[in-house]
Amino acid sequence: MAASAPIRSSIGRVLQPATRCSASTSSLNLPLRASLSCPPNTSSFSTSAPLGERRPTRDNNRLRGLSSIYRSGTKGRMAVDGFPTPRPADYKPKLTTDPNHGLWDFFYAKDKALPTPEEDSQHGRAWTVEELRHKSWEDLHALWWVCVKERNRIATATRERQRLKLVVGEDESKTRNYEIWKTMKAIKHTLTERYYAWEDARELAEKDPEIDLSGEGNPYTPRDYLEEEMEQLGHDSKAAAQPGEEKFMEEKSAAESVDPSSLLKTEQTQSSPRV
Amino acid sequence: MPRGSKPRQVFQVARSFRKLPLTTKDINKGFYKGTGTGSMGRHTKFGGYVIDWQKVRTYVVPPSLDSFKLSPFVTRKVEPTRGEYSGFAKGPKSPEMYLERWKEQNGLD
Repeated sequence: MAASAPIRSSIGRVLQPATRCSASTSSLNLPLRASLSCPPNTSSFSTSAPLGERRPTRDNNRLRGLSSIYRSGTKGRMAVDGFPTPRPADYKPKLTTDPNHGLWDFFYAKDKALPTPEEDSQHGRAWTVEELRHKSWEDLHALWWVCVKERNRIATATRERQRLKLVVGEDESKTRNYEIWKTMKAIKHTLTERYYAWEDARELAEKDPEIDLSGEGNPYTPRDYLEEEMEQLGHDSKAAAQPGEEKFMEEKSAAESVDPSSLLKTEQTQSSPRV
Repeated sequence: MPRGSKPRQVFQVARSFRKLPLTTKDINKGFYKGTGTGSMGRHTKFGGYVIDWQKVRTYVVPPSLDSFKLSPFVTRKVEPTRGEYSGFAKGPKSPEMYLERWKEQNGLD
């Protein structure tokens, strides 16, 4: 019943001009005439009620009907209506980055976020403990940090893969990481073993007649040298060691102190044939 | 114990439980989970925190890391070698070998 009234009125509007012109034209022209006579912006047929017959708002919400999603615009007329809307300036700040920044070490390349699985799987085996036994303290220290940096790069790639929800390349990355982990484990093994050997060797050195751990004088006097001195001077071994000590002291004054840490360190430094 | 009986199921549940991280509900009081990071100082009785610089981690990176040539990997063309420790009872851990090397290569400090 509610829809019948507007329909009736619109039918009447359609028919009105037709009835006016019906005297001069035939009835076949009727629909064409009707469409031409209508105002341009109103549709010929609408089921919605006219604006004036709308119900009043159900609540006191002054923002009802306003939407930025379907761009309803403002409800009332505004002073700026009709003026062009200002656009934000096309401004992009220029950022300067340090090309040699240390954080670049977290990536394999500056223009590449992720290595391909083929690149990731191009690696050898881990270092073995036996190979690392022949390395110096400095080498092992540096190798440890090389491993750390490589694992950081892998972690960055893993994080990036998670962000992009990529599954490809996960296995290769894990295998590479595991291989480095084994190297790091071998480094720790080597150093622990070396430390225990040093502890035992220090106990052994206290009983060794060739080694003097008192901290004064030459810590090591070879037996052959001792015997020569004894033959020449006919003194006991302690007295014979004195001239040799002076020579050594001239050569290297650092031999004075037998600091455990320095003993370990320098021993390892000296005994480092590069593999 | 026959298969599918109850104790076996209990054992399986216990085994899967063992793989989970511990919580305060799984263990008696005094359990401190932490984050594996360790402390950097101590709490004061007023609620503050005093940093102990002896406890703060210091990472010593070698200075010549850029010129360092070794990589974390060894080429697979190189077979892993076995060390020769025939004269020594404890193998690579023997103190005699350590002392011998020290005498040969350094003998100073």
